[in-house]
Amino acid sequence: MLLLGIDVGGTHTDAVAIGPDGLEAQVKVATEHDNLLSSIKNSLGEILRHTDPSRIKQLNLSTTLSTNSIVEGNYEDVGVIVSAGPGLDPHSFMTCKDFHVIPGSLDHRGSETKRLDNLALEEAIASCRNSGIKVYAAITKFSPRNPSHEKSIELAIGDNADFITLGHQITGRLNFPRRISTAFYNCAVWRGFNKFADAIADTLDEMGLGQIKVNILKADGGTMPLDLSRKVPVQSIFSGPAASVMGIIALCNITHDSIIYDIGGTTTDIAIFAGGSPLIEQEGIHIGSHPTLVRALKVHSIGIGGDSAISIMDGTVRVGPNRLGPSITFGGEIPTLTDALIWKDSCDCGNIEQSKAGFTAFAAKNGLDATELADQAIGYAVDKIHDSTRSLVDEINRQPVYTIHELLENRKIIPRKIYIMGGPAQAMKMDIFRKFRLSTEVPQNYDVANAIGAALTRTTTELELFADTERGLMFIPSLGHRENIPRNYRIEDAEKDAMNHLLAHLGEMHVASDGSNAQITSSSSFNMVNGSSTVGRNIRVKCQIKPGVDRTYS
Amino acid sequence: MLKAENSLGIIFFPAFDWAISPTHPEREERLLYTQDQLCEEGLFDIEGIREYKPEVASSEDIERVHFCFPEAEAVATRSHCISAGGAVKAAELVMSGERDRAFALVRPPGHHAMKTVQGSRGFCAINIEAVMCEYIREKFGPKRIAIVDTDCHHGDGTQDVYWHDPDTLFISLHQDGRTLYPGTGFPKECGGPKALGRTVNIPLPPNTSDAGFMMVMKNAVMPILEDFKPDLIINSAGQDNHFTDPITNMNFSAQGYAALNSMLKPDIAVLEGGYAIQGALPYVNLGISLAMAGVDYSHVREPGFNPETLKESDEIMDYIATLCEGVKDVYFNPPSESIEGVISGGWSVRHRNIFYDTEGFTESQTESLRLCDDCRGLLKVETQREGGPMGFGLEIPAAACEKCRNQGYSLLEEAQVKSRYRYIQLINRKDKDYLRYGF
Repeated sequence: MLLLGIDVGGTHTDAVAIGPDGLEAQVKVATEHDNLLSSIKNSLGEILRHTDPSRIKQLNLSTTLSTNSIVEGNYEDVGVIVSAGPGLDPHSFMTCKDFHVIPGSLDHRGSETKRLDNLALEEAIASCRNSGIKVYAAITKFSPRNPSHEKSIELAIGDNADFITLGHQITGRLNFPRRISTAFYNCAVWRGFNKFADAIADTLDEMGLGQIKVNILKADGGTMPLDLSRKVPVQSIFSGPAASVMGIIALCNITHDSIIYDIGGTTTDIAIFAGGSPLIEQEGIHIGSHPTLVRALKVHSIGIGGDSAISIMDGTVRVGPNRLGPSITFGGEIPTLTDALIWKDSCDCGNIEQSKAGFTAFAAKNGLDATELADQAIGYAVDKIHDSTRSLVDEINRQPVYTIHELLENRKIIPRKIYIMGGPAQAMKMDIFRKFRLSTEVPQNYDVANAIGAALTRTTTELELFADTERGLMFIPSLGHRENIPRNYRIEDAEKDAMNHLLAHLGEMHVASDGSNAQITSSSSFNMVNGSSTVGRNIRVKCQIKPGVDRTYS
Repeated sequence: MLKAENSLGIIFFPAFDWAISPTHPEREERLLYTQDQLCEEGLFDIEGIREYKPEVASSEDIERVHFCFPEAEAVATRSHCISAGGAVKAAELVMSGERDRAFALVRPPGHHAMKTVQGSRGFCAINIEAVMCEYIREKFGPKRIAIVDTDCHHGDGTQDVYWHDPDTLFISLHQDGRTLYPGTGFPKECGGPKALGRTVNIPLPPNTSDAGFMMVMKNAVMPILEDFKPDLIINSAGQDNHFTDPITNMNFSAQGYAALNSMLKPDIAVLEGGYAIQGALPYVNLGISLAMAGVDYSHVREPGFNPETLKESDEIMDYIATLCEGVKDVYFNPPSESIEGVISGGWSVRHRNIFYDTEGFTESQTESLRLCDDCRGLLKVETQREGGPMGFGLEIPAAACEKCRNQGYSLLEEAQVKSRYRYIQLINRKDKDYLRYGF
């Protein structure tokens, strides 16, 4: 039984096949930026040449398709219909030209404080229709508390749309501006992603792999089934860095607070583990010019990589953040971090003689001894990595908490171990160790850790449950589930319901889970008091399937 | 993307695990809906607005300000130390230049806590603004500070802490004490003998709304501030003047609170009271935050807001217009003698009974200020909780003259020898010497 993982990156597409006893095949092909499908086909073809197709059970795919189309602004026009009510001016969050604000409002408990203006809604839809809009996003303020206005908008749009995203279906977390941009992006990339998904399905059929299960990677390090991803393509953005982090989990047995570096060509990605688990971004990732609610692992990128150019300004040796062509060892002209590592004999790649000659010449031109230059350049890069890591850890430790218990307990992350992967990982290991004085490990197969992570990571999902016993209502926004509850509904009932719905949702996605990876991430219950009597409880529960890998091997 | 004109730090600490008692207005849920509103608005995504975690105020921070009997740890719970620590964090952010302004959105409040603390009154145990101001002065040197208290209740605690301090201007806008707790805060209360005119009370009639408040700001508060030229302006941002507040009778709105802060331009705001936790706080806190950051707040409106029905009558506006002239006089032409205290042997002495409503006991207190020509004077306090032991507090101000300083120490020695007091506390701001005896 084989699990396939493919990570389509900016420069390379990595693919692996993993069997019960470990890695059975691995390939690296160049990514064709304008034809991701062919990059996937090529890598898949290579894998099939080395393995028995009948043993393949699953393919997990991390692709930059949606990320690229958002970053490049290469997407479909969307009709965005919002209803805000009091607060910040919703026009501040205008994501596109077909952006319409409809009068109407809900308050923080989900009570309607102003009816949705149907006339204005009809006009907005007519205007979108005239502009040829076929995909719509409907977002109202506080829709995770009460989706009725979004549903009314959906009903009014009706057949005008090929696809509609409703804000509350994305997540139950509150953040109206982010909900707008997330719903907008989801619509914008929907058609392109679905074409791609069709093509993938066809390709697999052609290759005789029609029966295997296909999952798409998400930025939180988990996967979603291909069929589900067709409705929430926005969840596939920035899955690359997460794939690498999941790879490390598969390759190493991480138990302590740790730092993970993925040193690439132009950037180093830094991720932090608390105990054995990767940290998740509090709100969601930023893409384009808008923050979103797309859940992601906390990964911080800095402009230091193997191809980062070395420069000298006012006598100070710097590395990066620019990449000015390849390293000298690979035929470039300006020395890079990789060339400095080669001079120190830490690294062996490309044309060593050419690299050393070019490096000496550059040093001489700047009146420096080559060894001195190499030391300073590597020192600068390591310092940069060190300082960025420190400020990232400080930032994480400074995160607000809301209870006295948490504040006084003051759980702090103190990294005890470092894991490095990526091209220059082995070469930089000792320099990083000397700077941090922490146990530093470079796992085997680190160069395809991303694809391994993709292959082995499990399907994740999260949901928020919100209950108001004064009104006798329980609501799970992302599932659109609403039910009546008795007045004596308690936090224990809410936690049980949340977990049951989470597992049932997995079942609907045809993912078997015994529930051992499901966890409550936060849960609280507040007495609502009117005058001096308790009138009900306001209960909030969040739960998730933890991001993780289905098996590990080291 | 929105961008703040002034960078703003918000220390948000709702203390979701603390209440005075299960159905007390000061309970876990108080800032829950405010948090929902701020999150849903995406407030912390606005460029320039950032959320911070509070510090925890130490006993030293508290005992630099208050005479605490029997001791700071006994009167202030951990929650009080955190809300004071939230204010301290706000000060840190502004004084270090990390943020232009800061808003400590913390609970429980503090403006009813007086100089001497034997327990909790008006939901307050320690004065979080005072702890913050004295932290600033201890760390960053002498500062002229103006505290503008916009809570609906008279800030009697802050008034008491700064009664003798000519470098702190305390202005309180509140519902007239004849109609609301704590029943004080009249214009004639205008500071001790060495700080006359540095306490300015503006008691407003019930049903005062936006126009009335803004008239007070424009005609009284701003001219006074302009003259005082403070280094720092603090807003004690109580929110119970709101028209939906369950325990007061005013008609102020979220728009009004935002406009007030827009005019006042406080360096630091600290949340005080305000118990309309669903109908007011989410909107008022949003309005204040946006106004402080210099972001458009004109769309912030609470449900049920109708400026026409809330509008004050002409009589009220006339009354307030007259009042403004009177209170300006308090600052610009203060009386030559304080209304409180009798002069006895070179000391100004006040006898008072102070009721602690939250805990239900009375403290009797004798406070004496040495009338000194060279400094603001040595302060001593003799205090006794009903049936409790006697406590004695001495404060030597930062700019004390040698004579006051020396007398402070000789009184301390005398007090120890006489053994009349169970607890003795010395606050020597001049030499940063803080002592307490008797445990």
